[in-house]
Amino acid sequence: MLKDTPIACHECDLILKLPLMTRDTKAACPRCGFVFTRYFVQAKSKLLAFSLSALIFFALSFYFPFLNFSAQGSVKSVTLLQSLMSLGSDTYLILVVFMLITTVIVPLLMLIGMIYVLISTYTQINLPQVKPILRGIFHLKPWNMTEIFLLGILVSMVKIQSLAQVQFGFSFYAFTLYVVSMALTRLYLDRYQCWNWIKDKQKVSLVAHG
Amino acid sequence: MVDFYPHTATSQQKKVCSMCFRVNSLETNYCYHCDSKVLVAHKRALQKTLAWLTTSIILYIPANFYPIMNTLYLGDRTESTIFGGVLTLWSHGSYPIAIIIFVASVMVPVVKIMALATLCYFAMDSKRVDYGNHHKILRMTELVGRWSMVDIYVVTVLVALIQMGNIMTINPGEASIAFAAMVVTTMIAAMSFDPKLIWQKIDSQSNGDPSVK
Ligand SMILES: [Zn+2]
Ligand SMILES: [Zn+2]
Repeated sequence: MLKDTPIACHECDLILKLPLMTRDTKAACPRCGFVFTRYFVQAKSKLLAFSLSALIFFALSFYFPFLNFSAQGSVKSVTLLQSLMSLGSDTYLILVVFMLITTVIVPLLMLIGMIYVLISTYTQINLPQVKPILRGIFHLKPWNMTEIFLLGILVSMVKIQSLAQVQFGFSFYAFTLYVVSMALTRLYLDRYQCWNWIKDKQKVSLVAHG
Repeated sequence: MVDFYPHTATSQQKKVCSMCFRVNSLETNYCYHCDSKVLVAHKRALQKTLAWLTTSIILYIPANFYPIMNTLYLGDRTESTIFGGVLTLWSHGSYPIAIIIFVASVMVPVVKIMALATLCYFAMDSKRVDYGNHHKILRMTELVGRWSMVDIYVVTVLVALIQMGNIMTINPGEASIAFAAMVVTTMIAAMSFDPKLIWQKIDSQSNGDPSVK
């Protein structure tokens, strides 16, 4: 059924039909090479597993010390929220807002939205607003910069080594696992596949009318 | 194997949804499957890309010439630009970090801006289309462009940590906002660019018959 839906290349406009995919494969445009889909078997359960674990690790990373400092004989531990709050009073508030949006708000919205869409497709219950939420997820995707943030943390750790002794706290590892789960969620988040889970309004009504 | 029809959506009076790739008729405004707004590739989109691109080029200047970070240590105030920071890291022997920052914040933005400018030029001037590679340029820029943001995170994290550690005072410099804005505007420019504009030129030269190599 899905096989017969003609699609067109987003980049070069060529009309084509994708074969029914049954194993982990990638389908690319024969003309321009644009990748339509990276098909994964059981993508639904993988997506659900990784987005749930991302949420759990995310919650954990706020609870414990993020970093432990020792400078000039004194030891101090900092939680993730404390370090974010300390920036709030700064004059460069816009940078903090940007960081919060790209590393906390956008990923969180994506994860919650993804779980909502998955619940709807799993249970076959017609939850309201699934399509706008799925559209929103794909619009947010490029602004989710958690993996870049992790690289930023590592680089600043190296920079700070000369000034103070820094040890990673439990929250740091939870945050790292959150970034890994988030990256995996993004990997399995495939436009073509996700939209095929959504019931086709026209098709359903056509079938109903015989 | 992907089956294809030897024609484009445009030549069949259709348009493609950029959200779910389904083929819609020209009259529809919203995709029948995902309810997204479906737009036809139009020259006007190019002006949007050019506007964002020009903004990012202008922002590139303050982003590189103003200090990105101010350090106050024992009464000494030092300001460092992005490139200055890379040189400092290099002289301290942190070669991998110096290379990461140099590639992400100095090289990638320049390459991305140049790539987008080339694509806009191809979309405007049909005679100079590089048939083989133009689509690879766009895909590459979309993949690496985001990583430029790493330096902004480094500055923000450093400021937060140093404040907590009470070791010294670090403040973000004027360049940090310009740099962040530059990365965001180049990302929007890349997203707003419609590669169909280039392909339409190629199609119109071959009378609407797409040649698949
Ligand atoms: Zn194509
Ligand atoms: Zn659509």
